[in-house]
Amino acid sequence: MRLPAAVNSLLLRSSGVLIFLILWETAPRLAWVDPYFVPPLSIVVREIWLLLETGDLSRHLLVSSWRAVTGLSLALVVALPLGIILGRWLTGLASALEPLLRLLSQINPFAMLPLFLLFFGIGETAKVAVVTWVTLWPILFYTIIATRTVDPLQIKSAAALGVSRSEMLCKVILPAAVPTIFIGIRIGASLTFFILIAAEMLGAGSGLGWLVHNSAMNYLIPRIYAGATFIVLLGFLLNRLLLYIEASLSIWQGSQSGSPVAGQSRASSWRPDRGSAVAGTAILVLVLILGALEVRRLNQEALAGASSSSSHAKHFGTPADSSDGGL
Amino acid sequence: MPTRAFVSPWSLSRWLDRSSLLLFFAAWELAPRAGGLLETFIAPPSVVLMTLWELLLSGELCDHVTISLGRAIAGFTGAALIALPLGFLLGGNFRTFERIVTPVLRFLGQVNPFSLFPLFIILFGISELSKEAMIFWVCIWPILFNTITGVKGIDPLLVKSARSMGTGVVPLFFKVILPAASPGIFTGLKMGAGTAFFMLIAAEMIGASCGLGWLVWNAQINFQIPKLFAATVVISVLGMILNMLLVTLERRLLGWLDSSPNH
Amino acid sequence: MAGVVDVPQQIQTDAKIVVKAITSVFHLKKTRTEPAREFIALKEINLEVKKGEFLVLVGPSGCGKSTLLDILTGLAQPTSGAVYIDGNKVTGPALDRGIVLQGYALFPWRTVRQNVEFGLEIKKVPKRERRAISDNFIHLVGLDGFADRFPHELSGGMKQRVAIARALAYDPEVLLMDEPFAAVDAQTRESLQDELLRIWEATGKTILFVTHSIEEAVFLGDRVAVLTPNPGTLREIVKIDLPRPRHNSDTRSSAEFGWIRRKIWELLQNAPHESRHHLNAVPVAEAISPTASL
Repeated sequence: MRLPAAVNSLLLRSSGVLIFLILWETAPRLAWVDPYFVPPLSIVVREIWLLLETGDLSRHLLVSSWRAVTGLSLALVVALPLGIILGRWLTGLASALEPLLRLLSQINPFAMLPLFLLFFGIGETAKVAVVTWVTLWPILFYTIIATRTVDPLQIKSAAALGVSRSEMLCKVILPAAVPTIFIGIRIGASLTFFILIAAEMLGAGSGLGWLVHNSAMNYLIPRIYAGATFIVLLGFLLNRLLLYIEASLSIWQGSQSGSPVAGQSRASSWRPDRGSAVAGTAILVLVLILGALEVRRLNQEALAGASSSSSHAKHFGTPADSSDGGL
Repeated sequence: MPTRAFVSPWSLSRWLDRSSLLLFFAAWELAPRAGGLLETFIAPPSVVLMTLWELLLSGELCDHVTISLGRAIAGFTGAALIALPLGFLLGGNFRTFERIVTPVLRFLGQVNPFSLFPLFIILFGISELSKEAMIFWVCIWPILFNTITGVKGIDPLLVKSARSMGTGVVPLFFKVILPAASPGIFTGLKMGAGTAFFMLIAAEMIGASCGLGWLVWNAQINFQIPKLFAATVVISVLGMILNMLLVTLERRLLGWLDSSPNH
Repeated sequence: MAGVVDVPQQIQTDAKIVVKAITSVFHLKKTRTEPAREFIALKEINLEVKKGEFLVLVGPSGCGKSTLLDILTGLAQPTSGAVYIDGNKVTGPALDRGIVLQGYALFPWRTVRQNVEFGLEIKKVPKRERRAISDNFIHLVGLDGFADRFPHELSGGMKQRVAIARALAYDPEVLLMDEPFAAVDAQTRESLQDELLRIWEATGKTILFVTHSIEEAVFLGDRVAVLTPNPGTLREIVKIDLPRPRHNSDTRSSAEFGWIRRKIWELLQNAPHESRHHLNAVPVAEAISPTASL
């Protein structure tokens, strides 16, 4: 009984996407829109194919994901323990620090971008630092809130069983806090892509943001679309991966309809098993390792090519001597 | 609600008497005096304030602020003018159509505005229009999605009860549907306004010759550290004022909302 | 709506409300492809309510009582038959009928006073008059001092009082109430019932009250119309001869009260064969319980 309805609904939903794709192809071809500015889908697909063939796209994709994942991981490493400590044990310190943390978190991260470039140069450190800075705040705040608002009854009943401090943390507080913490992580992840792409446009020699910006500089319009499509894809994939991990970490939760992140209502209805969550984490780790290798290779190339290779830097008049703080 | 806590403003009186802030500013003031790298890269608050004063006196600051705000307001207003009616139509009258276009809209909403920005520059040049188009693009999605959600979430019982009193179509819209959807709409407007300012700075860094973002970027390129800090402070303070205004407005308009999370 | 056309627009009658041969059929489709199934929600309902009378419709869930009320309100059209108020056919919602719904349906962005004044605004009553009227009705339902509160600051019972005041404010002659007290706790419910009777006696409105609680029906009504489901048919109209005023007295504990309650319960139990089949499917005790209102 349910299947035909589900198929029907799927058809209905996908028909919109189909019409969109057809419009994308036909509108420029029939000159409804200027094909120079909006190239038809097929040309964009061919461009993507070309970029894939030369390995350009995958390289930039890998570099961008590496920066995003590294920044995110660093933020997690700092914000999670700090959040738990501030939310659970040093609550007095937390309330004393709150105004300062709020102040820092409210600083427009884009305004901080030049400062980071100033401190770390246009190397990898600046980009990773910016991503870390941006993702740090939502993760920290949500962790503090999550650990602070664990149901006191749960704590009480666990304490009545005489559990130790570490057991209390691992078996009661963390599981109860996971869904809320993940809201912060996902907000951070979505911010990551905004800031990362902007940072790559402003001061980088690789990455998807650079690809798009460089294409624009050279009026390679189909390439802009190809890059833009991949940026959407990357953001989407990262969000999916996080949902995947989250779902397996909080299986006890009936439904997570409470989370305010838009556009995930469909995803929340399905639930992966633990194995696929491990796979998801493994992908993230793989990105970290492969990306690090790639970034290192690129930086060595850049060093070998010396200052002459940084054609991009000229666009912005960035100091060419930029003390590369590469990892 | 955790979301609310995250964006909530911190009222002026509350943080003024907090010691952590004072400590922070003290450290900021004293750190450059330690000399070395810190002295080169960090401008202490006293110097920043003086630079701000100079910028203010020369009128430079006012110009940049007006330009930036003008861009943000233009893009935001344009987005609201299109997204609100569209949201009402999609959420209220054309439900099937809404189901068809939602995946496409979601995809477009996911498109990173920065990846489109170069395109806007090619299309409109480094004119005001390219920045406004970017802000428009950034604002339209949260407003549209939240309006649709708000309109779809209206309690049918309210509409039924109003209709049973013989309410006509126009009063029904203004007296029932609009206020009932207003929390969703306001959420969208708030998100839009917040991100508009946020994105604008970056857009002005990438492609502009004036505005606050350009001011920061230009200061960085020319290694004018005090100016860089001053502009950053102005941007942050403006963002905070915007946030406070929105929250005050929300309290005013949506005071009737039950704030306790019991749904 | 072919059946509606051959119904007269006006009839000669002394009764306030006349329900004439109402039949309501829904075409249900579970999926897009499946052929539509007919579901008869109401079958040949005939009913007359006198001016100033308090008539209660009682029946289990799914007997079509809410559909009937929607038709009376004018929000739904019957498949055949018609409803007349003062002899005039009902064609749509209008301010001659006030409605109180189960879920309060208060506008959360309006204060108590603004809620009460809603119908008056639709009626385009001038502001000063509105204020006097709303003061009066807020007082009538005992909410003095709460006029400027928002609905979320009120308890369930208070919200329902506001809903009643809102329905009364634009001075309809008929009050239609759809299980208005179903969502409040037992004690509040009894006091609201007392209150309703007091308001009814004070205003002289004609009230048609829908409930699934037999106790509530017997306590409130001049007559109780018993509906049985599948299809929704009017089984019998029971006249309640309990003395009035019933509030502030021990009506509920009298022997006669118990006897009438028992009789209605049996009427609902011994429903015709086809509906008994339905009742067995749903646990009877849950669908209609003589102690539902306790």
